[in-house]
Amino acid sequence: MKKSLIVLVGLFFVVASSFLNIDVASAQGQVTVLGVWGGSEEEAFIEMIRPFEEETGIEVLYEGTRDLPTVLTTRIEAGNPPDIVHLTGPGLLMDLLRRDAAVDLRDVLDMDTFTAEYDETWLDLARGDDDGIYGVFISADLKSLIWYSPPRFEEYGYEVPETWDELMELSDQMVADGGRPWSIGLESGAASGWPGTDWIEDILLRTAGPEVYDQWIFHEIPWTAPEIREAFELFGQIARDPNYVYGGPVAVLTMDFGDAADPLFTDPPRAFMHRQASFITSFIEDRHPDLVPGEDFDFFPFPPINPEHGNPMMGAADMMTMTNDTPEARALIEYLASAEAQEIWVGKLGKLGVNTEIDPAAYPDDLTRRMAATLHDAPEFRFDASDSMPAAVGSGAFWEGILNYVGGDDLDQVLEYIESVAQETY
Amino acid sequence: MESRNLFMRMLMHAVIIIMVLIWVVPTLGILISSIRPASDVLNTGWWTVFKSPLEVTQFTVENYESIIERAGMGTAFRNSVIIASVGTLLPVTTAAFAAFGFSRLNFWGKRFLFGIIIGLIVVPLQMTFIPVLRVYHQVGLSGTFLGVWLAHTAYGLPFAVFMLHNFFSALPRDLFEAAYIDGASLLSVFFRIALPLSVPALASLIIFQFLWVWNDLLVSLIYLGGTRDVAPLTVRLASLVGSYGQDWHLLTAAAFISIVVPVVVFIGLQKYFVRGILAGSVKS
Repeated sequence: MKKSLIVLVGLFFVVASSFLNIDVASAQGQVTVLGVWGGSEEEAFIEMIRPFEEETGIEVLYEGTRDLPTVLTTRIEAGNPPDIVHLTGPGLLMDLLRRDAAVDLRDVLDMDTFTAEYDETWLDLARGDDDGIYGVFISADLKSLIWYSPPRFEEYGYEVPETWDELMELSDQMVADGGRPWSIGLESGAASGWPGTDWIEDILLRTAGPEVYDQWIFHEIPWTAPEIREAFELFGQIARDPNYVYGGPVAVLTMDFGDAADPLFTDPPRAFMHRQASFITSFIEDRHPDLVPGEDFDFFPFPPINPEHGNPMMGAADMMTMTNDTPEARALIEYLASAEAQEIWVGKLGKLGVNTEIDPAAYPDDLTRRMAATLHDAPEFRFDASDSMPAAVGSGAFWEGILNYVGGDDLDQVLEYIESVAQETY
Repeated sequence: MESRNLFMRMLMHAVIIIMVLIWVVPTLGILISSIRPASDVLNTGWWTVFKSPLEVTQFTVENYESIIERAGMGTAFRNSVIIASVGTLLPVTTAAFAAFGFSRLNFWGKRFLFGIIIGLIVVPLQMTFIPVLRVYHQVGLSGTFLGVWLAHTAYGLPFAVFMLHNFFSALPRDLFEAAYIDGASLLSVFFRIALPLSVPALASLIIFQFLWVWNDLLVSLIYLGGTRDVAPLTVRLASLVGSYGQDWHLLTAAAFISIVVPVVVFIGLQKYFVRGILAGSVKS
């Protein structure tokens, strides 16, 4: 007995000591990047930076974690930030600016080329209070999209609606035909509820307009304001009505967002329409490898509601921010801002490009090309509000409020609760 | 009376079987999911394979293949071994010396020092991240194995000292006195009497500490970071999944690979384990 323990202990030491001569990474010619990407996204990122590494000889050390805010805050507080960090929203950037941890890119990038290649929208979103540019967007996801199955629409004689009223008429028609118009899934682990926030954002953007939307982000209007109430009510008309949504509110609450497009492709279809961001295509393709993008599933833009505000588009984007001013980091951020780098990135992942110089041929399919065009041609673009708000509200009380509202809670109570959290936070 | 006994025993067995099932079913689900193709995993539950369990074509090893092919998993496995082996032995050996001192020596401030060490058991390790990382950064320990070993040692020591102290204190005093009379020095008493007698306690402590270090994600993520050179299995495993939770079918296979080592360690040291759990619980 004793012998086997000693053998085991000895074995440990042998294994451990054989590994002991490991070089500690030196900072020479290296740049560290922290991001949330994992799996195929991480592989695409490594693919994107490979030409950079080959050309400059600088080694890029990528580190991916889905707990990015925690890890980033800890590292910054400890005085050990990564050189470049991937931020998923302006909310995180505001945090960095408050800690004075981001580098102004006006001194780093060639501003003439940069402003020529990027639309004003993307510059504004990265701008700090001092007019500095603190981030480069490398790709975007368009969220104001409604997915459907063209063969099914044809089979049942449905037309793609152009306005909210047409959309609701179509929904009623589908109910009259004995079907369910919508499939919604809010479940997403600890982040459950976020798909519902996108609904509210899309509706508010079209009923009250971009200006009210901006006021809402910065809490210049309370959550109990009539505009926000109305947006919740329009969402509730769909998500809380068992006739409109597949499985009723119970399924809305319990279905994983990644599975929520599935009811469109069953035979007969359990639902006809699904509102979700451009990245849902990869989920659909994983689950149904035999479906052809653009033929068997396609999108139409979330239709305008109040004609006065036209049809602004809402989405999210991936921003790269420099947190350490080193020559290697400067070189990398310049490379990431280029169309050359982003063509590899969007081609691999089917994300939508932001740099206007990106060759449309870089996209993997026609569907993605059309989504990119929809994003570019949008009269107005707004960043996902929940990603722009402070975390306690945008990724806390707002998510919770959505779940409680769909679960049947009184709207006033829900909004008052979010408002109380907002007042403590802002 | 006889039949009543039988009934009680059957009831007991039924309860045990149910408990075992509750614990085994999720693991079984992971195992079955890990050998199913990605599109099946995403579309139907793992239990559906039982409709036709003999149909071999519904199983595949492609999840395992794509994980092993994926760059960095071998390195990650190696890193986990490096971290967990030293991260287990360092605290256990240090704790053995410390616990022996606390239980068998008399020195000024002993109770006070022991109280502090035991008190550290309740300090949440999250509280220490920023200050410790700050020091690590200044002395160049962040992102090194040495740094993470020291961190695991420090986090593991309080409990290890506590457990071994109780075990050493329970050893009969006469044994030590006899040894002293025969002229044994303090060190030879430690190595030739205390250590051999506490093999069960040491073994179970090794299991505890090894499982904790092997399964640890947070400490490695903070002190070591997720770059491929140094990231252990847990960190690589977490980054197999995309930012929206895509590709989770790969997790099932990866999880199974990471389970293998703890299971081997557990089975290897299992016979000491039961005795070790009782270590120091009864003072005779």
